[in-house]
Amino acid sequence: MSVELDNELLNVFLIEARELLESLGEQLVDLEASPGDAELLNAVFRAFHTVKGGAGFLGLNAMVELCHRAEDLLNEARNGAVVLNPGFMDALLESLDLLNDMMRAADAGVPAEPAPRSVLDRLLIPGRAGSAPPVALSPPTASAPAVSAPSSQRAYDPIEDEFEAMLDAARNDRAPASAPSGTINDDEFEALLDSLYGTGAPGADVGAASAAIPSAAPPVGAASAAIVGAASAAIPAAATPAVAADPNAISDDEFEALLDSLHGTAAPGTMSAAVGADSSAIPPAATAATPVGAASAAIPVATTPTARPAAPTEKRSASTADTTVRVDTFRLDSLVDAAGELVLVRNRLTNLAPRGTNDPMERAIGELERVAEDLQNAVLRMRMQPVGKLFSRFPRIIRDLARQLGKDIELVTEGEDTDIDRTVVEALADPLVHLLRNAVDHGIEMPDVRERAGKSRSGTVRLAAGQFGDRIVITVTDDGKGMDPEILRRKAVEKGLMDEEQAARLDERECYEIVFRPGFSTAAEVSDISGRGVGMDVVKTKIVELGGTLSIDSRVGHGSTVRLSVPLTLAIMRVLMVRVGNRLLSLPLSNVTEVFELVPGQIQELDGRIVASHRQRALPLADLGNWAGAAGKGGHVVVVQIGHQTLGCLVDEVLGREDVMAKPLGPFLKDVPGVAGATITGDGRISLVLDLAGLADDGGQVLPSLRMAV
Amino acid sequence: MKILVVDDFSTMRRIVRNLLVELGFTNTLIQEAEDGNAALVMLRAQSFDLVVTDWNMPNMTGIELLRAIRADAALKSMPVLMVTAENNRDQIIAAAQSGVNGYVVKPFTAVTLKEKLDKIFERLAAAAG
Repeated sequence: MSVELDNELLNVFLIEARELLESLGEQLVDLEASPGDAELLNAVFRAFHTVKGGAGFLGLNAMVELCHRAEDLLNEARNGAVVLNPGFMDALLESLDLLNDMMRAADAGVPAEPAPRSVLDRLLIPGRAGSAPPVALSPPTASAPAVSAPSSQRAYDPIEDEFEAMLDAARNDRAPASAPSGTINDDEFEALLDSLYGTGAPGADVGAASAAIPSAAPPVGAASAAIVGAASAAIPAAATPAVAADPNAISDDEFEALLDSLHGTAAPGTMSAAVGADSSAIPPAATAATPVGAASAAIPVATTPTARPAAPTEKRSASTADTTVRVDTFRLDSLVDAAGELVLVRNRLTNLAPRGTNDPMERAIGELERVAEDLQNAVLRMRMQPVGKLFSRFPRIIRDLARQLGKDIELVTEGEDTDIDRTVVEALADPLVHLLRNAVDHGIEMPDVRERAGKSRSGTVRLAAGQFGDRIVITVTDDGKGMDPEILRRKAVEKGLMDEEQAARLDERECYEIVFRPGFSTAAEVSDISGRGVGMDVVKTKIVELGGTLSIDSRVGHGSTVRLSVPLTLAIMRVLMVRVGNRLLSLPLSNVTEVFELVPGQIQELDGRIVASHRQRALPLADLGNWAGAAGKGGHVVVVQIGHQTLGCLVDEVLGREDVMAKPLGPFLKDVPGVAGATITGDGRISLVLDLAGLADDGGQVLPSLRMAV
Repeated sequence: MKILVVDDFSTMRRIVRNLLVELGFTNTLIQEAEDGNAALVMLRAQSFDLVVTDWNMPNMTGIELLRAIRADAALKSMPVLMVTAENNRDQIIAAAQSGVNGYVVKPFTAVTLKEKLDKIFERLAAAAG
């Protein structure tokens, strides 16, 4: 294979193997919980097996060796020879980590470190030697002509010599000197086929020979008889007496009868001319040399009624191979961008279109509007991924953590099939890991403590996802000890985050928000898992970057719930278009709670700040116009949620809702807080898209420049 | 000529496909199926000249596929090359008894694949001749 093909293959392999390994983590954890699940065990076995197969072709020796060991262990478990205790599970999970490392190395084009002896040894069943892994092909030699030499072809068969000797012995009409081994080579296989079919081919119409079994069959060896013995249940009655009469003898015809009975091809027909004639050319001892009998006793084929009709189980899998296509995410993203641009143009056209004239142009534009919307939705759906793909990583993390902490924790996931834009899925990974770690580390108590509190020893962490309109809400709930607002207030003061008076004024919900402040950690002792006080504020920042919100609910003694809400997609933003002076601003609708018009006398002064009395509350006002560098009169108020504050933004005009695609402003203006980008409006003007969450500081306080003071 | 490559791992299907192309099966239509069930559906719907199938697959394994092929009057003489991960005697004998035409152990080169295919075709020619 050319280098180019190899590279392409490597990429395909890495993508596919990564998918396998991703689900393998979850499967292993499940397997530990239900070790008796044969189906699951098979799936786990197959994953290692498949990765090994692919890695072998790509010369990834380290992966082949590790997978092989894991596969050996799992195979023993499948056979019931070993029980996968936690020690083995640890070793398997560690192998998985190593495989992931090796994949990264392969991706980076560097040779992977072979798995450390310690891990390989822990995959071994004590007192048993591991089997030799198949030697991987090194890609460069794959196309080297030298390989065509038969000797080098067979170099990987360690017992080749033994077989050669055996075959030589057979040719000399002597019994093989060496013991049969568990592998087979080409010559043996050919001899086996010969013994089964003569020189014919399997599946050829060889006819039912059962009626014509010669009583004086040439002795082929005890070995073959054993096959018949094992399979006798399926052999036509006529054949059985002949076998019973001479257990050591079987003829080729009997073999044919056996095969026919095995295959269920009872079709009568002509004997293949070649069968009878050539079968004598095989020295009897050659067949005997292939220890067919010893092996066949364990062959399930022989005893299972294989004649059952292969029902055409036309599952949906039949078509998936052909209907799925892998697309580079980069191409997908550019498609999403292009669709977004189209929507912008559509908005412009809609604005320019004559209205209410029933003009053909108007109708065409109406149609464009619909088509563009369909296109955009379809394209966005293409980029959606079920959140379960992300969730599948977590059981492993929870399991490892719980084991490390000596806690007993079950992770329950819900709503795995909720679709989210893949960019959002990826961005959610780290925050969710933090939240889960927190729940495990700080939320769930030790089993003894739980028992004393009258709870079950085992704690539950629930991870649930669901779609609510154009947002995805994910909750992480634990049934642990919950958070005490009083303790949070005290901590906040101790850590100098606020003074006592401020702390006392916080309501319960605001107390919980304290944990999102940088440098806050509620754990009395800092564990190496989550208690450095860097977790939650990072979570908050990340979620806010996604245009999301975070909130906490807690009940002392009953547990906590962290609820995060993120937009379904980052490509399209639903905004409220407002005018301030001569500027157009787009406020993300996710932050907007309501809009009202100011009436004279509504603006008041309170605590040195300008507020509007609204719904019997004092709503602090912010001067967006001033912040945006535009002077406005401010006759309307848009009520927005920034951080955990509700704020009224003074604007001159509320133009309406729009779907926009925020384009970045370029490197110079990239990091301006509060600005997400810009978009082109329907009438061709530019509107700044605000990132309202960015207008609050880490503590959730609105930036001073926005404040309206007296 | 038409060859059906059956494997649940698309990387492996691609490898086999590439090797076949490398062997000069260029005028060959190489189709793929991701397990035995899918393969059977395709085999019954179209005519193929050779099946190269993996052994270990979910839903329907290679050996089950092989048996289903041999049990199907219309398909029973279809040549089948089995791809296995192990050079395991028991397995291969079982496959031979179920009517496999040849086997090849992963990983293999184009040359090995060619040898295996040649042997299959030789045997078919002998059976026909």
